[in-house]
Amino acid sequence: MMTRFNQLPTLKIDPTKKVIFNYKGKTYSGVEGDTIASALYANGVRIYARSLKYHRPRGLYSLDGECSNTMMEVDGIPNVRTENTLLKQGMTVKEQNVKGSAEKDMLGFLDKLDWAMPAGFYYKMMHKPARIWPIAMKQIRKTAGLGEISPDFEMPGKFDEIFPRTDVVVIGGGPAGMTAALAAAEKGLRVIIMESRPWLGGFFDYRTAEYKDGVALYQRGQDLAQQVEANENIRVLKHTAMVGAYSNCLVTGFQTGTDKDAFNERYVEIRANSVIVATGCIERPLIFDNNERPGVMQVGCALRMARNYGILPGENGIFSVGHDLGLEAAIDLFDMGMKIGCVADVREDGQDPELVLALAKRNILLLKGWVATEAHGKKQVNKVSMSSIDGMITRDFDCDVLVASAGLTPVTGPLTMAQIKLRHDDFTGFFVADEMPENTFSAGRILGINNALSIECSGTLAGIKAAKACGACDAAEVEAAEAAMKALPGPVRGSKLVTAPVKGRKSFICFDEDTTIKSVKQTIDSGFDVPELVKRYSSAGLGPGQSGIPGHNLPLYVAKYQALAGVPVKPTTVRAPIVPTFIATYAGTNHTMHKRTPIHNLQVADKGILRKIGVWERVRYFSEDYSCKKEIENVRNNVGMLDGSTLGKFRLHGPDALKALQRIYVSDMSKLKPGRVKYSAMCNDDGCVIDDGVVVMLGENDYYITTSTGRAGQTVEWFRYHTRYDGWDFSMVNITDSMGVINLSGPNARKVFEKITDEDVSNEAFPYSGFKEMLFKDVIPAKVMRLGFVGELSYEFHVASSYMTSLWQLLKEAGAEFGIQNFGVEAQNVLRMEKCHIILGQESEQRTNLLDVGLGFLWDRKKADAKTVGAVALRQAENDPSRFKLVGFKMENNGRAPRDGALVVDSKVRGYIATARDSFSLNEAVGMALVESELAKVGTRLEIYEDECGDERIYGKVVPMPFYDPDGTRMKS
Amino acid sequence: MVDIKRVSPVSFGKSPKRTEVRDNWTIAMEYDSEGQGLSIVDLSHVTRLDVQTGDLSGVTPFGVAIPEVPGQSVLKDGILINRMNGIQASVFQLPGNGADLPTDVFVTETTENTLCVAIMGKDVFSFMEKVSNLDFMDPKMTAPFLFQGPCCHVPCQIITLSKDGDKAGLILTCSRGYGKDMIHSLLDAGVEFNMKPAGEEKFSAWVASL
Repeated sequence: MMTRFNQLPTLKIDPTKKVIFNYKGKTYSGVEGDTIASALYANGVRIYARSLKYHRPRGLYSLDGECSNTMMEVDGIPNVRTENTLLKQGMTVKEQNVKGSAEKDMLGFLDKLDWAMPAGFYYKMMHKPARIWPIAMKQIRKTAGLGEISPDFEMPGKFDEIFPRTDVVVIGGGPAGMTAALAAAEKGLRVIIMESRPWLGGFFDYRTAEYKDGVALYQRGQDLAQQVEANENIRVLKHTAMVGAYSNCLVTGFQTGTDKDAFNERYVEIRANSVIVATGCIERPLIFDNNERPGVMQVGCALRMARNYGILPGENGIFSVGHDLGLEAAIDLFDMGMKIGCVADVREDGQDPELVLALAKRNILLLKGWVATEAHGKKQVNKVSMSSIDGMITRDFDCDVLVASAGLTPVTGPLTMAQIKLRHDDFTGFFVADEMPENTFSAGRILGINNALSIECSGTLAGIKAAKACGACDAAEVEAAEAAMKALPGPVRGSKLVTAPVKGRKSFICFDEDTTIKSVKQTIDSGFDVPELVKRYSSAGLGPGQSGIPGHNLPLYVAKYQALAGVPVKPTTVRAPIVPTFIATYAGTNHTMHKRTPIHNLQVADKGILRKIGVWERVRYFSEDYSCKKEIENVRNNVGMLDGSTLGKFRLHGPDALKALQRIYVSDMSKLKPGRVKYSAMCNDDGCVIDDGVVVMLGENDYYITTSTGRAGQTVEWFRYHTRYDGWDFSMVNITDSMGVINLSGPNARKVFEKITDEDVSNEAFPYSGFKEMLFKDVIPAKVMRLGFVGELSYEFHVASSYMTSLWQLLKEAGAEFGIQNFGVEAQNVLRMEKCHIILGQESEQRTNLLDVGLGFLWDRKKADAKTVGAVALRQAENDPSRFKLVGFKMENNGRAPRDGALVVDSKVRGYIATARDSFSLNEAVGMALVESELAKVGTRLEIYEDECGDERIYGKVVPMPFYDPDGTRMKS
Repeated sequence: MVDIKRVSPVSFGKSPKRTEVRDNWTIAMEYDSEGQGLSIVDLSHVTRLDVQTGDLSGVTPFGVAIPEVPGQSVLKDGILINRMNGIQASVFQLPGNGADLPTDVFVTETTENTLCVAIMGKDVFSFMEKVSNLDFMDPKMTAPFLFQGPCCHVPCQIITLSKDGDKAGLILTCSRGYGKDMIHSLLDAGVEFNMKPAGEEKFSAWVASL
């Protein structure tokens, strides 16, 4: 293990606390605060993984997880970003995407076959002859992809979610973000600040350069961080990467938990009144040959390795940079003990004179207008070739670390995600936003400024603008902050160099996808000449780094290669999650939220088999026999109980309640009489039937309504919508969950009923379509309806949900002597189908009107059309011969029932099967189908096509409906 | 012989230390080790009413005036009234108030329609942040106030009775059918806040302290 600095004031590690972990089967140690990547580096590991396509060795590059170079398998989880993941005791770390090891990868030879894999090669090669492709595809898929996971892998850990609300959310915990947060908080606003690293400070945090008056930048960063964390109005979310930002001030992210947190990762969804984007800059990668060879790293990576993790990244460093931060880092690392062979700066001029002087004092060679052209070394850099940027003069330098960076570039992900248009600014070389969405502001280095005081001031200005957007300060305060900003240095000139003078066969613009400059040229030469197309054809930016490495270089290079002038250059689109996130984090706690009936547990205890039906979980079967033979025969011959609690239930009351009923239902609801149940249906304006149910009168202007299960949630809105201009005085209360429903059906139903009540429930006293309110056991109030959906003598008991258990037990006890049994939804489905009672949604679809399904008898044609929803359309449809008709059919030759949804065909589709079953009551297969009207005549042969039936057809014949008890004797006696 | 009783949609998976039977409800009065963390109390037995009419002005359930602005609530003498919209209010007759129910035609009893729990404790809003995106700490909202919005992705009525430190707490209702999943989700989210079931007595003491 390397010797580490342990006294630096910028350290984020505690060198006194060892953390033991396992890497490739051997025990290693890091220290508290290490990331997995820094701990491996401290243990001498330089090759972390192999690349996707060419299996090139890959190592540390950004230290912020901007690419997949250091993704590894950790505790069985593939693609863990080891630069961003803190080391924990006992972790098991493995390389990924290797055949053998990262050091000796047997697929490393693919790097030499790059000529055989040009951009988009899989689109145009191995397709002829066609039989080759399936074989080739399998091989490509075997070698492609990063990491492996078993389909039954269970993600360990606790994944949570929070949905905070705030006045201002600040993305980025650097100096601008912190001053913005402080400024907004000072106005009394609630502020949330998100920072992707586990600490605040941004690019002040690891720099020893002077801030002001002898105070170093890192000290200023620490001071600001303390102020922010001490402010009661500011909530700090550290180690929280933003993954989505939207123009309505919605910002999403994920937070990595510490040992003290109750979660491993949690999804964060922040709704704010104002957003401040203070994401700062990343380094724009310098493109030259072998620019991703282990040992090549960015300026921030090299300096942070030393300053934050106490690890000098190498002994002999060479710098090829394009900004003053590179010079500053070279000086700092030299002072910490690294030998610096040379600092090449792509800029001919414009360097900070003090930095130039400091380099000279240390005898560090500064080559202005020079750039690295090639990194040498098979698995790790050991030499670098440099040249002047015109390629005229070259020199070689030995090194074990090459610090390379073309320049700075703003982190524009949140801006592009929020649909903000970006423009390339020639002076700064940045992509900048001229217009921001309402209540969204930016601050800090993203604006192209580099002076520390300017950066802080821009944060303060953004914080005050956000406060004004929230109504917490006035325009004068904004003007004062703007004036202060103007008095400070503005944006600085940036480096525009994209590539060194190389051909680009091994110059990588995207590390994740192994996309080279040559690949981009091939793509453009193939006709895909705009960045969005280049991205898709060459795959540049499609990897897990989400364009972190190629994001801004790609459009710049595409413009440069085509010598485009006057054409707007803009970065390609990025989408959430902008940072790779575990699917488990998005899933969160992932609780299912279903409704259950009041007697759910009792039915489960009776071996009910559950199915999810809309928002409900219901019992569909009471045995593994999904034909439900026993359940059906018991209802037909004895007595059964069904839990019908999911029915929609409503109380409608008020002086104009009847008017509302008349508007919504197709029947004449004024004919409704006390003690009677009225069945009717609702249509939409097209006459299409949307629901059916019963209505009973509870008192004067007081009604009780049932609807189908699926429509319960919309019924109140439906009534309100269709009476919105009338000003009627009626009220409607959804009491679906208040009342449970038990359906007691079968020839012995009355006998069971009589045992739990003293009321006269004979056919004369309580006839079919009757309604009574009664008390069971002097305690349980019930609304009882005499119905017949399943075609037998039936009663529906509606009681308060809390009493449902008691009533269920009462009925079960009373029915014991008859052998009462449960029946489920599927048995009910067959029973009612035999009776040809329809279920909307089963025997209908969106285009089906009331007349199509044979419910025209419900429509009262004497009601004024304008007063009944759908009546006008029904009148028009009445004589339309092109409409479908619901018909009953039986299968030929005692054949089996077709599957629901099967098609009725001849030379074209003529209809479909709504419901069909093998009927135990009728001893033959029967069903209902919606067919074109010319096929609706009794005796017509129906040709039925089922999925995957090939040339086989089955046949049925249209027969009169209903199939069972056509006179209704059984349900009415 | 069937024992006639009313069953709450709420189950905490733990037996109460002391119960009381009231109107066939078995009410948990106290649990062992109710703790100092968040408390969750089953109030599903508490009488709840829907008051709905075209003109709510002058309507005074249990003698308490309905707040004028939707979202506002009032808590007085054990009666909690929440203005839902222009024509509708929800009314809670909290434990201890034994007044007769109003018999007006525009009143519908909705006790059975929802599950009802109270959640109290200083971390209640950190807890709620995990299950709802409603802004309970909005400085413009003065307790008591009503939110009609999602909790655990389910439509709820949530009445914040206090935002005040240790006294912070709220009452939550949602469709009764969601009882099992809602309580499971709330208890799971409450683990980090040491959420424990508590009895009606703790709730009554809390309300009395407001």
